[in-house]
Amino acid sequence: MTTILIMTFTGIVLIGVLGFVGRRKPAADLSEWAVGGRNFGAVSMWFLQAGEVFTTFTFLGMAGLAFSGGVAALYALPYVPIGYMVLFFLAKRLWSLGKERGYLTQGDYLEDRYDSRLLGTVAAVLGVVFVLPYLQLQITGLGLIVQLVTGNSSSGTLSMIIGSALVVAFVLWAGLHGVAMTSYFKDVVMLVVLAVLLVAVPAHFAGGVSAMFHRIDKLHPEMLTIHAGPADQVWFTTSMLVSAIGVGLMCLPHAWPAVMSARDPKVLRRNYTWMPLYELCLLMPIIVGFAAVLVVKPGSSANGILLTLSKQVLPAWATGLVVIAAVATAMVPAAGILIGISSLVARNIARVKGERTQFWINHGTVVAACGLSLLLAIFRPDLLANLLLLTYSGTVQLAPAIALGFLARRPVGKVPVLAGLFVGELVVIWLTFWDKGLAGNVNVGLVGLAANMIVLTLAALAERLLTRSTTPDPDKQVAVTA
Amino acid sequence: MRPYHLIPAVPALALALMPFLPFVNTDGLWFGLPRMLVWGAAWCVLCTPALLLTERLMATEEAGTATITEGADQ
Repeated sequence: MTTILIMTFTGIVLIGVLGFVGRRKPAADLSEWAVGGRNFGAVSMWFLQAGEVFTTFTFLGMAGLAFSGGVAALYALPYVPIGYMVLFFLAKRLWSLGKERGYLTQGDYLEDRYDSRLLGTVAAVLGVVFVLPYLQLQITGLGLIVQLVTGNSSSGTLSMIIGSALVVAFVLWAGLHGVAMTSYFKDVVMLVVLAVLLVAVPAHFAGGVSAMFHRIDKLHPEMLTIHAGPADQVWFTTSMLVSAIGVGLMCLPHAWPAVMSARDPKVLRRNYTWMPLYELCLLMPIIVGFAAVLVVKPGSSANGILLTLSKQVLPAWATGLVVIAAVATAMVPAAGILIGISSLVARNIARVKGERTQFWINHGTVVAACGLSLLLAIFRPDLLANLLLLTYSGTVQLAPAIALGFLARRPVGKVPVLAGLFVGELVVIWLTFWDKGLAGNVNVGLVGLAANMIVLTLAALAERLLTRSTTPDPDKQVAVTA
Repeated sequence: MRPYHLIPAVPALALALMPFLPFVNTDGLWFGLPRMLVWGAAWCVLCTPALLLTERLMATEEAGTATITEGADQ
């Protein structure tokens, strides 16, 4: 136990130190800090984008989902490649607009494309509200990991405090460069650990991957199909679709700084082309999770499955390495989310004059957002849990606004977009908290998106009719002038 | 909309329709692995060649457009 604990805290400190090494001196302005001076090459971009995909949810959650739902966990496999295929076509336009118009955030893009500060602010507020629980999830996950392997809740709390303090410190110092540097470490250690677990866990419990699946096919064939129940075909497809739209149209605000930091659009396109192959790594925790179907009692806590199996199979020092990888999947995405949240507040919500003041507000937001998430993770871990349900379904309501913004001549104005967004969010909140069963297994984000688009279309038609009726007839105007 | 825009739609559709294909969404294994897993992994791999082919066709078209523009200028 002592070995695991020492390795865990060494790992947390090591990630913090790596974050500091990402930059020699602090950034001079917000653009340099948030998007690294728009000078990131293919390798940095690769790890930054992978950093967003491989989080605590991927590392621990996928194994847990495979244990509880079998192949239903595979819903997470296709959405990133599908989203990246959309981004492959949008990358050039997105990057050029960002460079020309100086975007740092999602709010900047919407504000500029629709010439509406209100839309920029609304999008930023929604982004912060829906993504803050995601930040808290990473911190809570960090504490849970340490608590699970040490069996000691105070170690979990201590790890959350130290981890959060180090994340804040290196994010303030190094900005996106720090996130990139820690991402290299995170992905390497995560892949090594997953490769070891992929071989060791099935071999230990069933004599190998193939033998394990043959036993599951014999004893639990239902785990190999998507069948009737809460995780049926409708749930699978609609969840995948909402997530793919979210990725493909950059609905999560913390995805923006990484894309805006690319040196040129070719870097982005190359990454979107090859990233689907990297997505296959997602299969490793899923396969490890399947081993639990044979050896762990049904109904056991799913989130800790990967760590439980590791402890049973690996020696203490190797389990310590698994914990370091798991901790990295919490700390690195947390750093990326902090940059996304703080730049939204500084650029699109606070709206202060002067670059220096904006920079200080940004840094203050980093401390405040992480501090708030830490306090909630320690004292009220369930307070934001409900909001977490809205992270994807809520942010995806920005998809129509973002998609139409790519067009050279926007077919709609800000009012229809805001009306659609308002109705979409209302539907999602209603179906998530009040009428939970109404949508059945259909992802509520998709239902909200349908309502959003209907309202947007009707409002756009009304806007066009109003504009036509208020524009004076040019023939009449000529007659009057004559 | 150009024809090359449709090339990535093939793996995207194959992935999206995965749970509705009766020969994929069923018990039994392919190569010792669940059929859904093999199908999903195979089409994920095929996304990359699809995008590479699309990129090549886009580059060919851009080069063709540039040649026509140069010819018109001269």
